[in-house]
Amino acid sequence: MKKKSFYFEDYTESKILEQNSYFNIAKVSFSRITFLSFVFISILAICSIKIIYLSLSTEKNFYSQNIEKNFIKKRRDIVDRNGNILATNVNLYDVGVRPQLLSNKEKKTLLIKLSLLLPDLDMETIKKKLKKNNFFWLGKRLTPQEKDQLWLIGNKAFEFKSKLSRIYPQKNLFSHVLGQTDDINNGISGIEKYFNKDLSNNEKNINPLNLTLDSNLQYLIREELVKAQEDFQSIGSAAVLMNVTNGEIISLISLPDYDLNKRISLKSESYINKITLGVYELGSVFKTFTIAAGLENKIINPNTVFNNLENSLTCDKYTISEHDKLPKKLSTEQILVRSSNIGAVRIAQKLGVEKYRNFLNSLELLNVINFDLGEIGKPLHFKWGKCKLATTAYGHGITTTPLQLARAYAILGNGGYKIKPSLLKKDIKSLEKKEQIISEKTSDELNLMLRKVVSLQEGTANFANIEGYEVAGKTGTALKYNSNEKLNTFVSIFPASKPQYVLLVMLDEPKPAPNFVYEFPPSERYPKGFRHKGENRNTSGWNAVVVAGKIIEKIGPILAINNLQASTNF
Amino acid sequence: MINKDKWLNSLPNVNKKQDQELLQIDNNKWLNTIPKNNTFNSVKKYSFLTIIFVCGLIFVSIVKNQTRNLEKEISYLKASISLIEFNLNQANLDYQVITSPENISKLAKEYLNGDLVYYKKSQIKNLSKNDIILKEKKKKNNTKILSSLPDNVKKQVVTKIQKKKKEIAKLQELYNDPKSIPEEVKTKVAKQIEKKKFELKNLYESPKEVVTLKRVGKWGVVQVVKVVLGMPIIPGR
Repeated sequence: MKKKSFYFEDYTESKILEQNSYFNIAKVSFSRITFLSFVFISILAICSIKIIYLSLSTEKNFYSQNIEKNFIKKRRDIVDRNGNILATNVNLYDVGVRPQLLSNKEKKTLLIKLSLLLPDLDMETIKKKLKKNNFFWLGKRLTPQEKDQLWLIGNKAFEFKSKLSRIYPQKNLFSHVLGQTDDINNGISGIEKYFNKDLSNNEKNINPLNLTLDSNLQYLIREELVKAQEDFQSIGSAAVLMNVTNGEIISLISLPDYDLNKRISLKSESYINKITLGVYELGSVFKTFTIAAGLENKIINPNTVFNNLENSLTCDKYTISEHDKLPKKLSTEQILVRSSNIGAVRIAQKLGVEKYRNFLNSLELLNVINFDLGEIGKPLHFKWGKCKLATTAYGHGITTTPLQLARAYAILGNGGYKIKPSLLKKDIKSLEKKEQIISEKTSDELNLMLRKVVSLQEGTANFANIEGYEVAGKTGTALKYNSNEKLNTFVSIFPASKPQYVLLVMLDEPKPAPNFVYEFPPSERYPKGFRHKGENRNTSGWNAVVVAGKIIEKIGPILAINNLQASTNF
Repeated sequence: MINKDKWLNSLPNVNKKQDQELLQIDNNKWLNTIPKNNTFNSVKKYSFLTIIFVCGLIFVSIVKNQTRNLEKEISYLKASISLIEFNLNQANLDYQVITSPENISKLAKEYLNGDLVYYKKSQIKNLSKNDIILKEKKKKNNTKILSSLPDNVKKQVVTKIQKKKKEIAKLQELYNDPKSIPEEVKTKVAKQIEKKKFELKNLYESPKEVVTLKRVGKWGVVQVVKVVLGMPIIPGR
């Protein structure tokens, strides 16, 4: 077809068309090239993306993933104040059995082999489990040696699973403080539970959790308590040693205890942490607070004399009487030294409910204490009245935990400064920054009076008068609720001239010990020494004090050596 | 039919030649003006870029491979470190168990005779600041006494010390090299030894002759002097 252009008559489209055909051929070849280059570029892009991804990825390679994970600690160690390990991780093994892989004959041979290798295993239950043909665990938390023994049997039904487990090299020693972890290493009690987040923090894995406790002192105190349980036939006992200046708990023991490495379910109440969870009526140890409140409110002074003290008095249906025959005229100091119930009641009556209650509240004896453990007891609430005031004056009808009692004595001893009991080692805080609850004058007067409880012959705690340690303290003998059994306590502060430590010893349901030999080494009072046997009294002065004395005799030199300040002040 | 020239010729001053030239138009003249696609240049450009990109990729993969090898090596090292750490942990644990107070007291009961006695406070001597100051004072006093001595005495002491030192040095030399001892001294010593041997032989063979009154008297006087001086009598030397 020929068309004439409007302006150029000789111009026809034929030539253009001819040229178009060339263009068409080029177009096809060009689109092919484009397609191929597109494919090529796509492949390149995919490869480059992959390379860039691999270059930027922080994921560890196969080797590091598989090799390292076996040796990584998943939970921080716990160490005492001297760096001794109290809790750490080790690789232990769980061994399971898949009975479905075994024939009946093989099952029988396996049973024979197991009975020869591990005679302690209960073969009857294993036999039953093998019959059921379901997977079961033959043993958990086995040591590498035990695992190797089973592995050497070479049975195809065995399945070994390695896992990091928590172990406690000191066994029973810190059972109530450390607590335990479950199968997946989560804390379920004690420090393990309270500091679970902190302990499982991988960033802090290298640094162990430092506690204020001392393994050596803990062992010595525990040893004495175990002996005391034998001597005085008590069903339990407890002790706590605290630094009065910063509230560091150096030792915390509650008996009976248990081996943390053996996973036993304990249901008996006697296994509770008596120091932090146990809430008790602690008896005459409260008289110190009654007198302290009187001194602080300037109602009495150490020499204030109380005349005509009755031997007993009644309040509602209750009779309050003295534990022994005491003079009718006693000074404040003598009331404390001789532990006069009626004297304490008189002081409390002088004080009045409001002042006495406020004083006890300021020492935080009636509230729940803030401490580094989850197992904390709650003192029982009661309604204040005239009779309640009279009974609380000598420590009856009022409850608290031994830890709170020790803390209150520490405050009375350190010059009246508030402290927080702690199990975690921190920097020493200066006392200047702390809140003062009672005056230093009251504190000094009390220390002197408490020293006389131990040092004077008429005092109730003579057996704790250990030479060189200036032991001060107060005894407490209380009857347990709805029972005729006793709970004997002794709280000591030493050295009295500049208190450094508070030691609380508590015996649960002790019995008279007529076969026990009470003795004193030769001293000014007893130049030939003192030996006494056949004692039937069962008060704190005849058991808890004796135990405390022995403990101080043992731990005193260590404390004095470890703490230069203490040694120079003794 | 319309004659177009008829009208063209009718126009005044028409240059036919010029018109004819105008009418002879070259079509290709315009076609050549259309810009051609420079395919060669674009291919060159793209292939250059591709080569660079591919080279880059190869380079990256080589680097990546090297880093992977390094990573592998690091992870092996890490594994060996963790293995050592693990062993250290185990050893530390063993140490903790062995040195636990319970174990130590068990071992003490098993291998030590009698009960361990606890140190009493009175047995611990505290070195207070005052004690240290007193010790330092004593030292200072000694040095003061020495410095307060007159120069003559000091010189005498110094010369005596030097003399003794020289003697000791001489003896040491002789002791180290016995050949250097002069022959005269050697013969003197040998004679003395022989004399003593002879005396001892006589004493053994005829003891009565040796114990003379003179000797007994001499021995008695020496013993009396010893008693006076408070020295032991018989052993003598």
